[in-house]
Amino acid sequence: MENNVSHALYILQEPVQYMALSFMALMYIIKIRQMLKKPIPPEKAELKGDRVAGALESLTNVLKPWSMESTRKNPFFYAEFMIFHIAVALTIGATFFIPLAPSLMTPAVSKVFMLFMGLAFLIGLRRIYRRLTVPEIKIISSPDDYFAISLMTVFFAVGFVAMWMWIDGNPDTGWMWIFFLLTTFFLLYVPFSKISHYILYPFGRVNFGRTFGGRGVINKDVKNPTWNPK
Amino acid sequence: MSEHGEKLGAKEERKWPTKTEFTPEMLEEMEKLLPGTLNRVVTASLSGCIHCGMCSDACHYSVSIPEDKTLVPAYKADRFRKWYKSRYDWIAQVFPSFVGAKKLDKELANEMYDKLWGGCTMCRRCTFNCPMGVDYGMMVRGVRSIMQKVGRVPQHLQDTVDTHYNWGNNMAVPQDEFVETIEWIEEELQDEEGCENFKIPVDKKGAQYFLTLNPREPKYYPLTIQATAKVLNAAGVDFTISSRYWDLTNYALFNGNDPDARQFALWQAEDVKRLECEYLLAGECGHGYRALRWELPNWVGGVPFKITSVMELMAKLVLEGRIKTDKSVWDGHRATYHDSCNIARSGGVTEEPRIVIRAAIEDFVEMEHNRENSFCCGGGGGALAMPEFTPRRIAAGKIKADEIKATGADICLQSCHNCTDQLKEIIEHYHVNAKVMNLAELLAPALVL
Repeated sequence: MENNVSHALYILQEPVQYMALSFMALMYIIKIRQMLKKPIPPEKAELKGDRVAGALESLTNVLKPWSMESTRKNPFFYAEFMIFHIAVALTIGATFFIPLAPSLMTPAVSKVFMLFMGLAFLIGLRRIYRRLTVPEIKIISSPDDYFAISLMTVFFAVGFVAMWMWIDGNPDTGWMWIFFLLTTFFLLYVPFSKISHYILYPFGRVNFGRTFGGRGVINKDVKNPTWNPK
Repeated sequence: MSEHGEKLGAKEERKWPTKTEFTPEMLEEMEKLLPGTLNRVVTASLSGCIHCGMCSDACHYSVSIPEDKTLVPAYKADRFRKWYKSRYDWIAQVFPSFVGAKKLDKELANEMYDKLWGGCTMCRRCTFNCPMGVDYGMMVRGVRSIMQKVGRVPQHLQDTVDTHYNWGNNMAVPQDEFVETIEWIEEELQDEEGCENFKIPVDKKGAQYFLTLNPREPKYYPLTIQATAKVLNAAGVDFTISSRYWDLTNYALFNGNDPDARQFALWQAEDVKRLECEYLLAGECGHGYRALRWELPNWVGGVPFKITSVMELMAKLVLEGRIKTDKSVWDGHRATYHDSCNIARSGGVTEEPRIVIRAAIEDFVEMEHNRENSFCCGGGGGALAMPEFTPRRIAAGKIKADEIKATGADICLQSCHNCTDQLKEIIEHYHVNAKVMNLAELLAPALVL
């Protein structure tokens, strides 16, 4: 595919995106630095398990729905979660591939992207409905929660339509403008929003894995069972 | 002063100044204390929640009391999180209500008091079901420590800590009375058939194991000490009980006061060194086990001895063939086992109790949720020392009572005194036909001597 666009759209797709991306990176560096400056609780007890293995196990539990009761008992919710997050990755990927490597976006590849965007749009709608109607979810929801999921849902819808028109040979459309304007907004807004939870995810999971891996609660195949302390 | 009339505990008596309501001065002080509480685990837990609601089915409060949605873990933690965001969230500095931030005021502080003392046992079951790895236990202990420091702490819980501080054990058992009790239990043990030569050594220097007890045992459950001593004697274990710092409980784990927690741990660590024991042996006590095994080395900066528990030691004795059992003594009975949160989920001891149980009784049935997935019985986190929240505590125990009932067991085993008291209460309240026992009480009658 080719990406023959106006100079104005080129400005939006490349220099503006790079500036916004740099801003996002800077905000994330500050956020990560702030977290790394916090002291880690000490662990001087004789370990029963392996803290590093525990951290790795914990970090990858996102790929193991059987590892938590909450995902084990809600396979549909987990499937939604996976599709939604794959769609996020693909949609972000599209904003790079379209201007920088349009040849990679063959019609077949583009249709896979669109499939995930379409499904994620439907999942987004369902998640908004869930947040509005399930009492225990509604009671914990803030405007940021509604705004974040709504924004993502709109982003998927716009991306879906923009790509549809793009593979039809119309790269410079109003939809593509909206898609990249939304991308710019995301890059500037996400570091301040709950959407940036993926930056915090490794911290939470590593903390969990180190604590409970060291205690032999996760990673059951412990080398030093407590009934036979060395 | 007699041989066993030593004044234990702190040199100067203390009564922590508690308050019945939050004042503006207390709120101001809490603001100053907040940054010191924010280690990396607490900070990641405060900023990492995405409000997905996956924790709502994980909590015994929200599952047992479904009509009260304010007992969902994320909601309870948000009482603290709102305050944190008002200080540290970037958007909250401009649009606080957009991200649910709220400045600390009396209303929010009261909500924190209600939900984080009286609506959470820090059992960490929600933590194990959180996709983001939010550690509710650490987070709740953090905010409890702030409230405790300004005096807003459940009175009875603080009294328990103060008693430990003033007496060296949390039930104010004088040293001479404790030693007399142990001597009496030893006599009772020796009256049992085949136990004539069994001993409960006090202050034996160089013993391999330094056995610690929950003060409820010498006060109300001496048969538990007798059963434990019987098992240890039958296996030829070289153990002793200290006349000084024998109390393994540490309620400062619950009220969040680290200097007190450290002090109690230090007394015990010094006592183990005094008696030159190889192991500090935790008796059957949930939070006590965690406080000794996993927290004490951190509080005192490392220890030169090893730390284990009676649950683990009994399993080792079974596996090594050092004790012989006759399961027929429990014929006609069915047992189930309740995993104490601090022993299983926060402690990593899940298989050892089952090794002991299977050696003592034939008919053993697991509850639907067991090991690290076990629901809290509702008695953890110091809940039994907060009588103002008793109705909610009993209500929150419904899921556990239902699971015990579903096993058809007439013996509910556990290894924790807080669990014992809570299980007894909910078993009576929810009309479950089961007797609550600990592991030593199951194993001791089955011993072949």
